[in-house]
This record gives sequence, structure tokens and C-alpha cells, in this order.
Amino acid sequence: MMLLYFLILPLLAAVLAPLLKPKAATHLTVSFFLLPFFAILSCLFYGCAEVHLMTFSAPIGELYLSADFISHAFGLTICIVSAMVGLFALPYMEHRFVEMELSVESEFRKYIFLYDLYAASMLWLVYSGNLILLYIFLEIALITAFLLIYFYGYGNRRWVGQLYLIWSLVAGVLTLAGFLIIGINNDTLALKYIETVGRYAWPFIFVGMVIELPVLGPHVWLPWAHAEAPTPLSALLSPLTVGLAGYVLLRIALIDYSFIVTYRSYIFGYALFSSIYAGFSVFKQTDFKRLLAYSTVSQMGYILAALCLGPFGLVGVVIQYMSHAFGKSILFSSAGGIIAVHHGLRDVRQMGGLHDSIPAISNAAVVGFLNLGGILTVGMLGEFFILRGVVETFGVSTGSLAILLAVIFMFILSVWYGFYTIRKVFYGKPKDTTRKEISRYLYVPLFLIGITSVLLVFPPLSTALIPGLKSVIWPLMGMGGIVP
Amino acid sequence: MIEFSMPVLMLLGALVILTLCSAFSVKYRDLGFYGAIAALILASAAVTLLIPALIYYTAFVFAIGILNLVSLKVIKSVIQGVDYGLVALMALVTLYIFTTHNLALILAAFVLVSVPTYILVMVREGGTNVEVGIKYITFMVLATVLFLIGAVTLAYTKNAFNGLLYILGYVMLILGLSIEVGVAPLHEWVPDVFTSADPIPMSIIASLAKIVPFVIALRILISTSNSLTVSVTLFTAVLAAISMFTGNIGALTSKEHARILAYSTVANMGYLLACAVVIIKPEFFYFALTGALLMLFANAVGKIGFFNAIKGEGAFSLTMYLLAFSFIGLPPLIGFWGKLFILFSLVKAEYFWLVALMVLNSAISIPYYLRLARELGVGWKANLTNFICVAVVIITLITFLPDWFFRSMEVIAQAISIAI
Repeated sequence: MMLLYFLILPLLAAVLAPLLKPKAATHLTVSFFLLPFFAILSCLFYGCAEVHLMTFSAPIGELYLSADFISHAFGLTICIVSAMVGLFALPYMEHRFVEMELSVESEFRKYIFLYDLYAASMLWLVYSGNLILLYIFLEIALITAFLLIYFYGYGNRRWVGQLYLIWSLVAGVLTLAGFLIIGINNDTLALKYIETVGRYAWPFIFVGMVIELPVLGPHVWLPWAHAEAPTPLSALLSPLTVGLAGYVLLRIALIDYSFIVTYRSYIFGYALFSSIYAGFSVFKQTDFKRLLAYSTVSQMGYILAALCLGPFGLVGVVIQYMSHAFGKSILFSSAGGIIAVHHGLRDVRQMGGLHDSIPAISNAAVVGFLNLGGILTVGMLGEFFILRGVVETFGVSTGSLAILLAVIFMFILSVWYGFYTIRKVFYGKPKDTTRKEISRYLYVPLFLIGITSVLLVFPPLSTALIPGLKSVIWPLMGMGGIVP
Repeated sequence: MIEFSMPVLMLLGALVILTLCSAFSVKYRDLGFYGAIAALILASAAVTLLIPALIYYTAFVFAIGILNLVSLKVIKSVIQGVDYGLVALMALVTLYIFTTHNLALILAAFVLVSVPTYILVMVREGGTNVEVGIKYITFMVLATVLFLIGAVTLAYTKNAFNGLLYILGYVMLILGLSIEVGVAPLHEWVPDVFTSADPIPMSIIASLAKIVPFVIALRILISTSNSLTVSVTLFTAVLAAISMFTGNIGALTSKEHARILAYSTVANMGYLLACAVVIIKPEFFYFALTGALLMLFANAVGKIGFFNAIKGEGAFSLTMYLLAFSFIGLPPLIGFWGKLFILFSLVKAEYFWLVALMVLNSAISIPYYLRLARELGVGWKANLTNFICVAVVIITLITFLPDWFFRSMEVIAQAISIAI
């Protein structure tokens, strides 16, 4: 029950925060996301029980909050990122409202309601123990994100908002069709009672979630949406929302892995190609936020690849989600910092030497790219599990060596474009050497996210999290005992 | 022999109150309004006493009826107060529709819901809209005749089976229903009437008047189904698919708000007609019934909100967006649950291609609903239009998890067939 009370707090924040002034509302939001964060941390060590909500007639079945380590890992990430980005958003959104010539106080109410509801619905999504509940929260997140783009985005924001809404909705309804077939076949949609997914439902869910993820091909909407959204939204959209498609695929894969086994080589090949192609596309981008969006497509390729790699790969999916979320939220926020300080500067060609004027944001961005590259952060563990998955799945032979090298190249590519971008944006010949005064809100939260990411590599967090994930995934994948 | 128990007396009492108040309302307009409300309350209580499982259905119809009555306050019509009586009559018939198993009464109900709209469609501020009326009545009479003959033919084949006659009856019934509610390609009258009539009467015709024809058609079809049904439902499925596409594409390419709503009706009626194919799997029919009713309510409250916004030249933008999202079918709003249960029932009936088309159509309907919400949305003002819009939004939100409705429909579906 404790879990339920803590999860209700973010929803409560959506109702209460609009009643307060911007600063108080922000602090309320942050504390109402941090409290569940610490509650989930305690769950990692002491465990918590799942919560029964209500029983629906068949074929919907029981609605409950699942409380396993997979949900905790995702929930932890969502809480900390939402809280920190919420903090960062205070000066940023005030700046944006002034820029749009709107009344700060009244617009902030509207904004904070949508922001809190958006983040809270993602949190509830990963704890939903029923596919229909999961779908409801997926769509609430979609509506709120759409409205945020529609009201406060940049450029042609209405068009971009609709583009995002239509693509995500198509993804959503395809997934829903898959869920319905599962519901009819199993007479329940409660995750713990579903026994088969079946060959009809899997393709629907897979295609839907691959659009949502997205990989190369159906990714057309992502650079637009992520680049033109108001930056605090980009800093949740890219790190948290898209990866939730990976969460859905993971949950379905844990019930029935046969689809992945049947098409493993195709999916894996596509994921690698998508990741590497998108990785190279990063070099071509001139808009900083679009550049980050392409990096998201590349990173989502990791998740899809990891999904194909058996139990170790599935642990990799979870950790890769966390590492990408930490890294990308820092990076989008630093892009937002540049926009706020340098009056809407987004063109990479006009940047260079920004370290001189905004050293704090520049240092934060380095931490962000370290996350993406998997250096000294939780991303390291993710890459370890993905590589272990490659070896376990494809064995050790000359043929598998090529696959291993391709995966390693994919990892290197992230580091490569990361340092390329850092050099281009923050170092090199400075165009403006004057040191800017910037609000603490714009960089302190980013370092806090970075610290969380580093702490997760070390005991006691990693020693609680990783065996916990294995204890969920191993039995479902037909492997006995807990492998150290 | 009818037994005059308490609820039956109350049902009749409601009709008496309504008749008397309508008769006097020509002189005292307000009497018509209060009489209509009293009749609705009495009738709702009676229906709930008679069949307790109908309580949720009754509550929805009651709310929709009251909203329709209240929205009529906006215009001062020439038929002073009688318009309240007409709307309340439609609401009463809609309330009573599940309480009888008699074919004659059911067909009478069809006519009773249809006829008041002939007059209502002509209502407008300080005059009558005869041109629209003629066009509308011509189509409605055709629809009624087709529907009644179809229904009677179907009933005949139930006792003396004749394959050819069954198909003829089935097709006539479906065509009659299609014209009545506006399913493409028989939707000729819909865009014209929706755009040229006054928005308030249209909000009634597009909401309350759609419920009874569908319920009756479903009840007749399920009562008369036989071995031929599996093959003839394909006809219905094709019509449904055509209607979804015609409606959505029409709405996408329309500019006028009322015309968008007209095509949105055509699309929604397509979704609803899809429910009729589930009669081939009577054991899962309650899915279709739940879906159809929730969809009808979603359509009704959405249309009431949007038409009132057109009349009031805009309404509070949050309510407009929520109604648009309900139409698009986003959870947890009522429109989502309607579509969900229809999709469930179609999967059970193994009409997978129709499922795919319906899903596709939900997606292509997004842009025009958003456009509607954006163009009709304005800031908050305390007026009747906004009050109505807030009320309809509350209705779209109370079905957050409609298990209660689903369970009550499971009970209702047990005793839905008509004694023939």
C-alpha cells in the first residue's frame, strides 16, 4: 500500500501545483517527485508488495500496480529526471513565456498542470500491472505532451504537435489492437496472468512500439517533435517517453519470447543498422536539439538490439533505458541552458567556445555524453550486459566476432559523436568570451542527475538493482537460480 | 393482459404529465420546461424500478435529455414550449426502449423518436426553416418506411423461414437505418441539414435521436438471426467501412464547423454500424452492446458540446479539447471505451479487416477534431454554453473505468431479444 500512496503524490502535484505561484509550484513538484524516488529506493533494498486496485470483468481482468525490479528501475529514473527537469524548467519556462509575450503567472499554472500530469502518467505507466491501464497512461502522456508542444513549442509548433500526435497515436492504436488480441486469447489483460501472446498479437505490438521507439524508417516525427518542443518537454520526451516503448516490448517479451527468437537476426540487424546510421546522421545536424534527437534514434537502436539478446540483453534494455534517460535529460537541459542564456541560440555552426561563457553548463554536457558513451556511468553496465548478451546468444566463433565488432563499433560511435559535439559546441575558438551570469536552476539539477547515474554504478545501488533485475528476468526466461 | 404495477403506472404517468404540460406550454413556456423535467425524472425512476440493471443507461439518457432541454433555452422558437415536450418525448422513448419485448411497441418507438425531429429541425430563432424541413422529412419518411417494412419482413421470416425474404428484409432494415442516422453512402441529407439548420436543434438530432434507431435495429437483428446471417453481415460491414472513410475524408476536407460535425456523424455512425456484424456471435453480443451504447453517448455528448459552442460562438477551450480527444478515442475518455468495446466485439466476431480499418480511421480523424477544438475554443466566461460544455465533459470523464456499465449491459443483453 505504501507504494500506492507515494505514487499518488505526483498526480496530486498536478492538481495542487497550479494553485501556487511559479516558484512554490516548482518546489512542490520537485518534492512530490523526489518522495516517490526515495520510496522506490527503499523498495530496492527492502522490497514492497504489489497493490491491488480493482477487478474488472473479463477480458480486462485485475488492475494492479506491479512492484518488481523492472518497474522500480524505470520508476526510479522517471522520478529523478522529472524532478530535476522540473527544477530546471522554472527559469526556462519563465523566459519562454516572456518571449511568447504571455502572462507568466497564469501560463505557468497551465504549464505545470500539464507537466506534472505528463510525468506522473509515465510513472504510473511503468507500475501498471494491466495492459489496458498501461495503455491509458500511455495516451494521457501522449495528450499532455502534445498540448505542451502545441502551446509552447518553437517554429511551426502546431504542425509539429499534430505530426507527433498522429504518429504516436498510430503507434498506440496498433499496440492496442495487439493488446486486444492478447485479452481475447487469455481472457485477461493483467500482466501476471497472461500466458500467451500469440503470433497475431506480437506483430501489432512490435510494429506499434517500433514506431514509438522509434528506429530508422518510422523515425520521421522524432527530430521534429524533439527539436521544436519546449526544452523541458524535450528533456522528458526523449529520455523517458520514447524508451517506454522499450519497456512495453520488454514486458511482452518476458511473457513470450518466441517472436524475437524467430526473427532475431532480422530485428538485430535492423537495430544495428538503425543505430549506426542515426549515429552518423548526428554529424550532419546543424541544430543542437535536432542533433540530440538523432542521437536518441541511435540510442534506441541499442534498446532494440538488446531486446534480441536473451536474458542478459533484457537486463541491458533496462539499464540502457536508465543510462540514456540520465544522459539525454542532461544534454537537452544543457541545450535549453544555451537557448536561455544566448537568446535562442540553437545553430551548432554559430556555437564554439561556449565553455568560456557558460562553464557550468558545458561541464554538465560532458557528463551527459559520458552517459551516452557508457563511460564511468550506469551506461557502462548497460554496455556490459549487451556485450554479454551477444556472446551468450551468438556464441564465440569467427562469425560472431563480426557481430561483436559491429556492436562495439555502435558503442564507439556514440562516444565519437559525443566528443565531436562537445568540441564543436563548447571548445574551440570562442565567439563570445564574456562570462554569463546564469541561474543555479539551469545547471545544479543536471549535476544531480549525473551524480545519480554515477552512484548507480557502485554498491550498494548496483548490487541491489542488478541481482533484483535478474531475479525477475531469469525465471521468466527459463533460467534457474540467480547468476552473479 | 397488462398488469398495472407501480412502475408501469409511473411510466404512463410520465407520459400524461408530459402531454398536459406540453398542451399548456403554448401559453406558459416555462411550464413545458418544468413538465418535461418532471416527466423525465418520473420515467427514469420507473425504468430503474422495473429493471434495476438499466440504472446506468437511464442515468446517461436522463443526463443527455436534460442537457438537450437546457440548451433549447438559448433560442426563442415560434413553437413556444412545445419544443420541450418534443425533446422530452424522444427522451422518454429512449428511456423506455429496453422495457418492452413487443415488436409493435418497438416499431412505434422508432417512429416516435423520428417524428419530433421533423418539427425540431425547422425550429430557429423567430421563424421556421421550411426548406431544410422538407429535405429532412423526405429522407426520414423513406428511412422509416424502409425500416418498418424491413423489420416486419424479418419478423415474418422468423416464423416462416424464407432465405430470399430474409435477405431482402435484412437489407431494407439496414438501408432504412442508414438513411435515418446518416450512414454513407446514404448520408446525402446529413451535411446539408447540419449546416443549414440552427445548431441547437441539430445538437438534439445528432445526439438523442441516434440512440433508439440503433438499439432497435440491433434488437431486431439479433432476434431474427439464422444460418444466413453470417453471409449477409458482410453487407453491413462494407457499409460501415464506407461510412467511416466517407465521414473522415469528408470532415478532413470541410471548412465549416457544422459540416465537419456532419461528416463526423457519418464516421461515427460507421463505427456504430460495425457493431451490427457481431450478431453472428450472439454469446459475445454484450460487448457490442456496451460498445455501441458508450459510442452513442460519446457521440451525443460531443455533439451537444460542439453544437452549443457553435451557437455560442466559442466555448472554454479546455472543454473543447477534451471533447475532441473523446471523439478521437483517447483514454480514459468515454469515446475510447466505446471504440474499445466495439473493437473487442469485432475481434470476437473475427472481423479483423474491419478492426484494422476502424483503427486506421481513428488515426485519420485527429486533424479535424483538433482544428474544431482550436477554432471553437475561447477563454472562460460564465454563461450557459460553458455550463453545458462543462457538464458534457463531466459525462465523458465519469467513464474513467466503466466496468459498472459493462456489467449492467451483460445483464441487459440476456433479455434483449424481441418476442416474435
